Amino acid sequence: MQANLVINVIILMALIGAGLWAIMTRSLIRSAIALALTSSVLTMVMFRFNSWLAAVFELSVCAGLISVVFISTISLTEPLSPQEVLKHMRDRLARFAFLPILILVVGFALSLLKVSYNLPLPPAALEQDARNVLWYGRELDLLGQVIILISGVFGVIILFRQMRRRS
Amino acid sequence: MNSTLLLLPILIPLAAAVIVLGIRRFSTAAGAVALIFTALNLAVTLRLFGQEAYFTGGSAGFGIDFILRLYHFNSLILAAVAFFGFLIALYCQRFLKEKAYAGRFYVYMLASIFCVNGAVLSDNLILFLFFWEGLLITLYTMIALGRAEAYKTAIKAFIIVGVSDLCLMAGLGLTAAIAGTTTLSQIHLALTPASCAACILLIIGAIAKSGSAPFHTWIPDAAVDAPLPFMAFMPASLEKLLGIYFLIRITLDMFAVVPHSSISTLLMSVGAVTIIVAVMMALIQKDYKRLLAYHAVSQVGYMVLGIGTALPIGILGGIFHMLNNSLYKAGLFLTAGAVERQAATTDLARLGGLRRNMPVTCVCFLVTACAISGVPPFNGFFSKELVYAAALERGRIFYLAAVTGSLFTALSFLKLGHAVFFGALPQERQAAKEAPASMLLPMIVIASLCVVLGLGNKSAVEQILAPILSAGAVGHSGGHGMLVLITVAVLVIAVLSHLRQAKIQGGGLKAAAYIYQAPILATIFRWAQRRFFDPYYVVAKILRAGAWILYGCDRLVNWFSDGAVVGVARISGSVIRKAHDGNYATYVAWVLAGTALVVILFITRG
Amino acid sequence: MVSFFILVPFLCVLLLNLPWGNLARRLALWVGLGLTAGQAAVSACALAGWIDLRAIPVSPFFKYDLALDTLSIVLLLCSALVFGVALLLSRPLVSQGEQRFNFVCLLLLMLAGTNAVALVRDVFSLYVFIEAVSIVSFILISFNKDQDAFEGAFKYIVLSSMATVLMVLSISLLVLVAGTTSFDGVRAAVAASRHAGVVLGAIGLFLCGLFIKGGLMPFHGWLPDAYTCALNPVSVCLAGIGTKAVGVYTLIRLAYFVFGIDAAVSQAFLLVGAFSIVAGSLAALNQTDYKRLLAYSSISQVGYIILGLGAGTGLGLAAAAFHFFNHAVFKTLLFVNAGALEQKTGLRDMRKLGGLSARMPLTGFSSLIGALSAAGVPPLSGFWSKLLIIIALIGAGYHGYALVAVLASVLTLAYMLAWQRNIFFGPLAAGLENIEEAGWEISGSALLLAVILIGVGIAFPLYLCKLIW
Repeated sequence: MQANLVINVIILMALIGAGLWAIMTRSLIRSAIALALTSSVLTMVMFRFNSWLAAVFELSVCAGLISVVFISTISLTEPLSPQEVLKHMRDRLARFAFLPILILVVGFALSLLKVSYNLPLPPAALEQDARNVLWYGRELDLLGQVIILISGVFGVIILFRQMRRRS
Repeated sequence: MNSTLLLLPILIPLAAAVIVLGIRRFSTAAGAVALIFTALNLAVTLRLFGQEAYFTGGSAGFGIDFILRLYHFNSLILAAVAFFGFLIALYCQRFLKEKAYAGRFYVYMLASIFCVNGAVLSDNLILFLFFWEGLLITLYTMIALGRAEAYKTAIKAFIIVGVSDLCLMAGLGLTAAIAGTTTLSQIHLALTPASCAACILLIIGAIAKSGSAPFHTWIPDAAVDAPLPFMAFMPASLEKLLGIYFLIRITLDMFAVVPHSSISTLLMSVGAVTIIVAVMMALIQKDYKRLLAYHAVSQVGYMVLGIGTALPIGILGGIFHMLNNSLYKAGLFLTAGAVERQAATTDLARLGGLRRNMPVTCVCFLVTACAISGVPPFNGFFSKELVYAAALERGRIFYLAAVTGSLFTALSFLKLGHAVFFGALPQERQAAKEAPASMLLPMIVIASLCVVLGLGNKSAVEQILAPILSAGAVGHSGGHGMLVLITVAVLVIAVLSHLRQAKIQGGGLKAAAYIYQAPILATIFRWAQRRFFDPYYVVAKILRAGAWILYGCDRLVNWFSDGAVVGVARISGSVIRKAHDGNYATYVAWVLAGTALVVILFITRG
Repeated sequence: MVSFFILVPFLCVLLLNLPWGNLARRLALWVGLGLTAGQAAVSACALAGWIDLRAIPVSPFFKYDLALDTLSIVLLLCSALVFGVALLLSRPLVSQGEQRFNFVCLLLLMLAGTNAVALVRDVFSLYVFIEAVSIVSFILISFNKDQDAFEGAFKYIVLSSMATVLMVLSISLLVLVAGTTSFDGVRAAVAASRHAGVVLGAIGLFLCGLFIKGGLMPFHGWLPDAYTCALNPVSVCLAGIGTKAVGVYTLIRLAYFVFGIDAAVSQAFLLVGAFSIVAGSLAALNQTDYKRLLAYSSISQVGYIILGLGAGTGLGLAAAAFHFFNHAVFKTLLFVNAGALEQKTGLRDMRKLGGLSARMPLTGFSSLIGALSAAGVPPLSGFWSKLLIIIALIGAGYHGYALVAVLASVLTLAYMLAWQRNIFFGPLAAGLENIEEAGWEISGSALLLAVILIGVGIAFPLYLCKLIW
């Protein structure tokens, strides 16, 4: 139990660290890589919670495909000069300075309101086999995922062709 | 007697107007046609004079029937109108010879005769109204013929007369509703509050047409702006005849106005005020025509005063004065026309000593001026005496007003005559010659009629005028000896005052100056000269102020819609546009803020 | 039968990508056009009540958990129209054969996605297909292959992923409460615990996610860039149906048929709608780029739809659906005109244009119809839907918001007339003497849409009778 908790905490810390890196880094490429890393860590979390199918999806689509799209898009953009990067950093800080205040305000409002959280929760459908659920319960979602994949493929085709032409 | 002959006084001027309209470009031919047809009209009306007849044409429904009625009174008016029409047409032959608008003037003149004849003859209220309103149009068009700026005066006249005609229209409607008939000769109403209102509305229309105060203010303006024959024709004779005719019909036939009734007192007050106000204004005028115009107003006061007494003698005096006034006022305007044409000005300061150059005109002027001032034995004297007697019977104050009016009338005519025909002849008027015969002839005819009516006043009153009043009970026509004495005394005072002041001031023009330079009167006169007492001017000022305020409101709304709204839209639009700085971080911040707001809203509302 | 709306475009894409060689390249456009024409015909017939799609039997293999009602049919009809026009536009505007093939395939995938959005009855499936449509949109926006397009796509991706986060969070909360994701289950659970903070928060989060997708102010940051930078056929299908299907249709569906309209939902709709209308119009008023003007106008018009929803009555729903249709038609029409302008003049700045009615009469005329319809001038169809929205607001007692709607339509008129005057009226601008009318694909589809606007406006009462259910 203790070891599990330690691993969980480490993974969550890694998640937060990767997320922070993604947000705060100056380079877009690095940011995209950090995003992929975040997704990978998230995959680990999902594995640990026995959601292996979700983990696979997270790894393939988010960490893989989306990152590829991101990186190929970013590689087409002009890099900024260091001064500009610095300016944008400051800019971003100024823009999000209100966020902590907002969070405090929202939290305070929620605490004031005595929101009721005690709901009659139905038992989670844990015992169902994931394959069963996927194929007989969520077949439509599968179709949607396939559509997403195919469009991703088209996107990669288009953008890589663009890159090839550029180079 | 049902006679189609009654159509002639209407059809002859109408036909003449149509013909002249066709040939209006040839002014001589147009004048000749007008002269012939007015002569024809005069002949027909003289033929009809003193007869009684009906003519019933078709009916258009809604109480509009074509009924004409001729009887003693309106046959007299018809004849008078025809007489003046003929004389003016004769006078115009030369006066308008070089004027470009001559043809059109004849058209409007004939159309006016058509309207007046129709109005006088018609025995149906609606028909009457039709002809009456037709006169409004010819009034406008005739004034507008004059100088370039005459249209302003024309509009003024149109609005003043038009508004009072609206009152008349309302009065006619009310009368017809109360009486239950639109046939004029069948309406005899007692004075109840409702019919009293109708009566007052009708009286407003009638006295406005005859040019009484406070509806008179366009007349002096028209005297300057409009063609001169118009002045001699419309305000001096035709409109007086028609207005006073209708006033008498109102007070005598349609409504039972008795002495000491409120309407009677009202009428007398209007008359007295008109006499005084207009004659005072006449006193300070420095223009021949403008001075006469104020007298044209002032004289109406005597008629209204006489008729307002509701005594037989007063009404008789009013009618007699109406005829006399038409005569001598037309004559005076014709002399003004002659002077204007021959001496090329009507400014009193630049005239003088014309008695040698224009002796006939001078004589005619003297006769008619004596008549208007009420010098015995001219006709004005006798009609005024009748009015005096009636006024005295109703109240000393009215008599006093009438006599005061007489005094000022005499003073202003002394001044006028002195300034135009006596004194020194200015250098630039040396070449002035006597007017041509066709202009002199109407003046001579009128002047001699003044004398004839004066000398034969007894028979004129008894044979021509007395039958109008069915009562016929007229005690005397010469006036009390006492009243005559007072009148004569007033005239003598006027002459003495004039002679003395002329000597002091060194000229006829300023002989009456001591009156209008008196302390309080001077202020009043100054205000009057600045038109503070002109209802048209006052209302126009008020309207202009209102229009200015409305304009301001409009500008404000305009500023609001074109400036403020557009400005706010533009500024807020550019603020919004600036806010879209293209940085996705900004947009993320907006989304976060928006989401927070919505979630808070949901949780608090739930 | 209903599932064919999703399967047929999807299978068409698969079939076209088999190794047919050059044949598929040439046929793709016509296959797509045939598909959209067929869908338009079928859905129009269904809307008129001539056929009942649910009654046609199909093999159980193709039976998904789908449902069809009038609202869905309206969306199906709109998407068929808009995608058909976009395909037609791609013939002159996407010149290269290979590129056009990819473009057609992506459009067909998007069509499948929007159709699925129209038909699904499950919150999670809805989310999946929203994402599918969005991802196709990302790729289509960056299709233009330049800096601006990537920037626009990037903004869309960033904000869209925020929407994704919000929606997934909301769905997980709903699953927590309902134990299922089907519309019926969620509706029952929401109705049972209406005032629980978790449920309310979940609803709020989901609606915010959809506000982002629909581009309502202040969630709209991505929209002007995305619409402006994309190729014109892409702008047409994004503005006409793409974002409306995933953002606005879904709002209507969820608010009316799943969550239910209560005071809070209504209030949120009214506030966001009114703000979008006014701020969108004001922003549109100050644009010089005509595509950007149309983009802001889109925000403002979507605000009208949401305002109609906020009335919370049956009439409000009908008005919103009607305005949804009208907006799809006239915004598509205006973007088609924008495409014609950009193709022929190569300019996007309204200050450099002017007097083009003389050179491009068909474009000028159809644009006038579209602009007047957007401004709500009778008897064009846009007038009726705005009128219904205002009547619904008054009927529900929201007089202030009705006033805002009325006054803002003046602003709409102002910027639409600015568009029309600056581009088409007045003297011909310098350098535009040799401009010619756009090709038959563009002007023909513009005329078709203009005729639809006029016809619907005139035949409105009939349409209203059909729409009230």
